[in-house]
Amino acid sequence: MNYTGNHSYKVSNTKRYKKKYNNIIRMLRKDKLLYLMAIPGIIYFILFHYVPMYGISIAFTDYSIYKPMSEASFIGLENFNKLFGTFGFNRALRNTIIISIYNLLFSFPAPIILALILNEVWNKTFKRTVQTVIYLPHFISWIVILGIFSAIFSSSTGVIKRLAEMVGYSGKVQNIMNLQSTFRAFLVGTNIWKTAGFGTILYMATLASINPELYEAAIVDGATRWQQTWHITLPGLRSTIVILLIMRAGRILNANFEQIYALYNPFVYEVSEVLETYIYKMGIGEAKFSFSTAAGVFKAIIGFILVVVTNWLAKKIDSDYGIY
Amino acid sequence: MSKTKSGKIFQYIFVIILLVYGFMTLYPVCHVIMYSISDPKKAMGGGLFFLPKGLSFESFRLLFQTKEVFIAYRNTIFVTVVGTCINMIMTAGLAYPLSIRRFIGRNFISLAIYFTMLFSGGMIPLYLLVESLGLIDSIWALILPGTISAWNMFIMRNYFQGLPCELEESASLDGASPMVILFRIILPISKPMLAAIALFYAVVHWNSYFNCILYINTQSKQTLQVFLRSMLTYTSMQQMATATDLDALGELTEESVKMATIVVSVIPMLIVYPFLQKYFVTGIMIGSIKG
Repeated sequence: MNYTGNHSYKVSNTKRYKKKYNNIIRMLRKDKLLYLMAIPGIIYFILFHYVPMYGISIAFTDYSIYKPMSEASFIGLENFNKLFGTFGFNRALRNTIIISIYNLLFSFPAPIILALILNEVWNKTFKRTVQTVIYLPHFISWIVILGIFSAIFSSSTGVIKRLAEMVGYSGKVQNIMNLQSTFRAFLVGTNIWKTAGFGTILYMATLASINPELYEAAIVDGATRWQQTWHITLPGLRSTIVILLIMRAGRILNANFEQIYALYNPFVYEVSEVLETYIYKMGIGEAKFSFSTAAGVFKAIIGFILVVVTNWLAKKIDSDYGIY
Repeated sequence: MSKTKSGKIFQYIFVIILLVYGFMTLYPVCHVIMYSISDPKKAMGGGLFFLPKGLSFESFRLLFQTKEVFIAYRNTIFVTVVGTCINMIMTAGLAYPLSIRRFIGRNFISLAIYFTMLFSGGMIPLYLLVESLGLIDSIWALILPGTISAWNMFIMRNYFQGLPCELEESASLDGASPMVILFRIILPISKPMLAAIALFYAVVHWNSYFNCILYINTQSKQTLQVFLRSMLTYTSMQQMATATDLDALGELTEESVKMATIVVSVIPMLIVYPFLQKYFVTGIMIGSIKG
């Protein structure tokens, strides 16, 4: 029979789904080994990343070392209410934000400035040597850093005492690692010491990708160094800087746990106890599992919102952005 | 660049700034190394250490008299070597299939993994999970929870995706299994990227300390960084069970032995670093390539 006119070749819905299903089965079978290869990795993520997410539910119970899982009962948002009234939590939140802001103000620009200066140096050997030197602290652990700077700032065996003597100061010298007034500066300083050098790599790569013809044309037009920097170099870095800055801001609740836990001590808890160290203290130290998980949930949710918003902003600025 | 007079002045300024910064980077390390090989009595006064104050390896001798340092070293080496191997196998094992276009569920799985970079259950649920798996006080607690870093996995996946797809397609049409394709074709081409990622993982293992504090209770399973930390934070020398002449020297040598322990913890990194530096740099470059 001949079909003419407006006959539409519609297959019934069930037939279409069945065909798709069969296609998928066929493709799975063909690439069986490929899917098998991915399974261990997927299991890893489910087990160590998704299962703990489910553990968030304990934040809504009163589970702790005094009340084991079997006895723990659902208490809703009680932990959260208690949390926001707790001195320790509020102090931790305050410190977290303050330290993150200090880092944004000082640790963030440091590699940029270093990269700009490095970029201007004529002597290639000098440049390479400096780079090798400044990348080094990135590979040193925070515990070693604790040891090194404890030695440097020690009031008895350190460097400060001798330096003070050299300029004629003979009074008592204190270890800045134990003083509340200097500890945050110490944190930022060591953060720069460890991360700024290695951080220049990314910016150097961006600087290298700026078209040299732009500079040549500018020089022909008689532009000074400052004009070249202002009109060519900085705009070339602009989108990288803005994106990284936005991302950093999104992680404002994550003030560098490994650093702070390694370097802080009871003298300076007041100014440096942050959310993550507080969670550790409450949860592992005092076994108040549900209470500290509540703090963790707070941090995770606020953090998630911040990161999603900042990632979205970053994408708006440069649509190629994103590792995903 | 034109070498004008003002250009030259700026060069001097920049060079000086970099020299100062480089000095501030290196001096602290130098201070510790020199202190550790100084005579403990002379070093006690403090001050600047560009050279040792009286040569003495006493602090190292005392340090190596304990067995804890060797145990800690052994543990860290085990975790670093075994851990990195497991990291690489698992990460590549996931990254490669996800890089294949026809992999069903690819986008969903990638998104689910990306989500774990944005949100996590937190420290306590993870601890409780590790506990319920019976891994507390096991050295595997230092390796398994961090088996695959989502960040590194995406770097690998993106790199594999960037390779010409004809490679995989033609081999697959010829009947090669994915394992064969991965090992015979893809991995050999990816050596620079693999070296960089392996180094990233290795450095993290070597320097990690908190997971050991969290999960491990027995001293014989401690890693190097935790051993160092206990040396730095406890001033009593009762740690050093085997050496008896320590009590006599007391406080003098305590500081020097601390310095020696720091040196011992950081020396491998210092030695290995200059040779591997270029791999790290390429790693960052690869990681920063968009898309």
